[in-house]
Amino acid sequence: MEALSQLLTIAIWEIKRLQGTMTRDLLPIAIALLILLVGVSGFTAQQGIHLQDGMYRIGVDSPLYLDIIGGDPRYVTYALPSDVTDIRALGLDLAIRTGSLLRTNGDKGSAAQKSFERDYQAYQDSVYRQQTDLFAAYPLWIDSEYIVSELDFLATQEGQQLSAPRQASATPPEPEEPEINIIPPSGIALENMEAFRIQLEQEALKGADQLGRYTDILSQQEALGELRIPSMLSPPLPFDTIIFIFVFIFPLYFTSQFFMMSIMNERTLRQGEALIASPVSPLILVLGKMLPYAGGMLLIVTAILFTVKADITAILPLIPVILFFLSFALFIGMIARSYKELSFISIFFSTIATSYLFFPSIFANVHIVSLLSPVTLVVHVIDGTGYTLTDYVYSTALFYLTSIILFGVCIKNFHEEQLFTEMGLLDALALYLGALVSTRYWYLSLILISAMTIPFVFMAQMMYLVLFFNLPMPYSLILIMMLAALTEEIVKAAGFVALITHRFPPLSWKVVVSASLLIGFGFLLGEKLLLFVTISQIADSIFGAALFLSLSLLWIPFLLHAGTVFCTGAIIKIWGIKALPFGVILATVVHSMYNLYLLRGWVF
Amino acid sequence: MGLLNYRLVSIIARKELRGLTQEKTIILAILLQLFIAMFSSFLMVGLSAMYDPSMYGRVTGVQYGVGFVGNDTILFDLFTRNPAFIPYQMDAGSALGALKERKLAAVVWTSETLPDAEDPVAVTLYTISNDIQSTVIEVKIKDILLEYEEILRDVRKDRLDSKPIPVTPSRPVVQNSFYEFIYGLLIPMLLFMPAIISAGLVIDLITEEYQEQTLDTLRTTPASLEDIVCGKILACIAIIPLQAALWLVLLTVNGIQIASLIEILLHVVFASAALILIAATIAVYYRDRTKAQFIFSTAIIIVLLLILAFPSNPINLIVLLAVGGAPPFHWAVMAASVAGCLILIVLVRNMIRKVEFS
Repeated sequence: MEALSQLLTIAIWEIKRLQGTMTRDLLPIAIALLILLVGVSGFTAQQGIHLQDGMYRIGVDSPLYLDIIGGDPRYVTYALPSDVTDIRALGLDLAIRTGSLLRTNGDKGSAAQKSFERDYQAYQDSVYRQQTDLFAAYPLWIDSEYIVSELDFLATQEGQQLSAPRQASATPPEPEEPEINIIPPSGIALENMEAFRIQLEQEALKGADQLGRYTDILSQQEALGELRIPSMLSPPLPFDTIIFIFVFIFPLYFTSQFFMMSIMNERTLRQGEALIASPVSPLILVLGKMLPYAGGMLLIVTAILFTVKADITAILPLIPVILFFLSFALFIGMIARSYKELSFISIFFSTIATSYLFFPSIFANVHIVSLLSPVTLVVHVIDGTGYTLTDYVYSTALFYLTSIILFGVCIKNFHEEQLFTEMGLLDALALYLGALVSTRYWYLSLILISAMTIPFVFMAQMMYLVLFFNLPMPYSLILIMMLAALTEEIVKAAGFVALITHRFPPLSWKVVVSASLLIGFGFLLGEKLLLFVTISQIADSIFGAALFLSLSLLWIPFLLHAGTVFCTGAIIKIWGIKALPFGVILATVVHSMYNLYLLRGWVF
Repeated sequence: MGLLNYRLVSIIARKELRGLTQEKTIILAILLQLFIAMFSSFLMVGLSAMYDPSMYGRVTGVQYGVGFVGNDTILFDLFTRNPAFIPYQMDAGSALGALKERKLAAVVWTSETLPDAEDPVAVTLYTISNDIQSTVIEVKIKDILLEYEEILRDVRKDRLDSKPIPVTPSRPVVQNSFYEFIYGLLIPMLLFMPAIISAGLVIDLITEEYQEQTLDTLRTTPASLEDIVCGKILACIAIIPLQAALWLVLLTVNGIQIASLIEILLHVVFASAALILIAATIAVYYRDRTKAQFIFSTAIIIVLLLILAFPSNPINLIVLLAVGGAPPFHWAVMAASVAGCLILIVLVRNMIRKVEFS
């Protein structure tokens, strides 16, 4: 009860402090800028974005063709002399002469032609849309139906996205169970013609209006039926998800910045000393300071969801994202030495976090990998598909775990010695790790430290997976494997770093050997535990095999983990802590060689 | 309040540059830019590759089985002629069952509408959901359906009121080279990232002196507030051409030819300097990092949107210079950038004087 009132007091202080920053010199200007922003966005939307204006030059022998190029500002148009043979000599990229399109050699000519073809398609469609008999201009309509296959996961898990489609046989395949209860597709009635025309016009408008396209996306309007003409069949590029990410992540990022600055301000000029000296526990301090920001973020997200009229369940996947941003804000606020370091680390972190959130979600509705990002669930809620509890656990577990562990580490270190030091980033990290080692039960601490690095390792490895899985095979596999080995070796070295910073027990050969065994054990334990909870689906694919290879038998991976971290430990023992990078590299090489040996069948 | 003391300004600038290298923040900044470049290229190239199966050499030569339900002989013939597909005439039940068991890649169910009927021809296409392979198949089937649409349109052509002007390419474009993405988006983005970073940096450097209360110590030296701020601005501008040049060299090494390197660098430096001066003005006014960064990030979006709304803006001109076709009046735009910088310099100095004696 007392803890709760302390928590509230701290939270109220924090809100008052925040109100202090929003002074008279900030608010009016901020409001004016926001109004200006709305005005300018409107103006730019009207004017269009002039980025690629005049990139290509096109010559035409008749003003008739101006209809096609129309308002595309990428083209500068010239009148083509009738006797011209070499268009390059005129400095042109493209030319239309008596209905035939010429281009210069090279990338620029090809790009110009590609763009022209798209313009021509739009022009053609605009002519066809005006026809009285729409079904003469568009005689073919496609209804796309998606069948859910029970074998879905098996196929994606075998890593056969593109690489292993089934080779068709000469005779039709026999299904084991023919489908019964089939509803034959219904035809299209003539009286719907005008509705189809309107749908086509809307689609065309969406494509033409750069900014309008983006503003429309969030207010979902269901297109008339599922019927499309063939040229509209291609899967859309994932602009929708990009917009979602920006709309949700940016306000969260900015709010977490305020929290980060609040922590940083406690450290500059030792302002927070009184707070830390008070009898309030660091846990309450940190939570109290965080509460207003977490509440603010929830409010922002709710407001956004309300504006786009999305179901409120979309807020659940965003909670771990909020925690994730806040925990990193706390960590960065605690370790940065100067403002510029704060800026760079936070921008760097948020770029990587944004891409982690973004990359998988572009495969929404396409691939199981997409579920790695909680934003995919938001996309699903907004397009009406929803998500299951398994999906939720699967995509948010890593976010919850990493945030909670990071909060734990930071709260454990939230006292004078750590807060007011002027150490570099890596030294501070070593100090934090050292503080986690208990002098009496150092062996237990080692197991714990390596076990708790696992969510971070998984997160990094998932990042490699989404970044590289569309590189051609074996390269993607080898690259992912080596990066995975490197990451694992780096975090395993954390145990040794913690031990050395803690200065007890002194690093004798005996300690090096037993520490290696303990770290190997802790690492394996964490890996096993987390795999049970979350990513068994990915772990079964060939890419998963590259990442989590070491799970087949227990004693082999144990020896591997212990052995490779022993390489690191031995090098530190012989040449001192400065040689750590070489130790990690040696361990990575050994680790990768082992992985390559196991995966040789896939690679060669 | 006299003229600037250039010796002091350069001492302060060098001190800040040293600080940047010591804290390794500059390395972090370059890494960050590299990551963003990688990110956007992966996005563009990776996705286009995914949706354009012709980019995968290995996918060609594979034959997909397609279940065919209905009596549409024209479409069946089109599938038969395409080397990527083997169509099987099947009944609906076994076709959909086989698709569910992944023994087929897709099922096509045609309607009984005749090519010259009043009604449109409707085709139902069944594919497996949640699968990248389906995406590839859909792209391949799209080509066939477009061909079919052309045939049907030709049958019904007498019913059209007007026809589009025909333009036929003399030779097709086989490979997508990402030219427009690289020159029209990636290059300007990469060249202006250092500017955004430096502008944020100058705010940190200025507000830090206030908030850490180190400014008073600095002021006991002969350096005036103006010298100090100018030194910081100078340091932030100095790292712009270095990073921009690094990008230009890296792009050139990667086989991306960029015309008019010097002109591009000049445009980048002056436009970036303007952004940094705006940031410095805001920082001197607020003397608080949170406030200054907040106001600056809103202001920068407004400025960028506004600049992009006008034709022949500096960013557009950089694109044109890179592809090698800039109009000569780009020098006039550059002169305008320089004039803008000069006005901003006056603004910063006034702001410094205002806060110095307040």
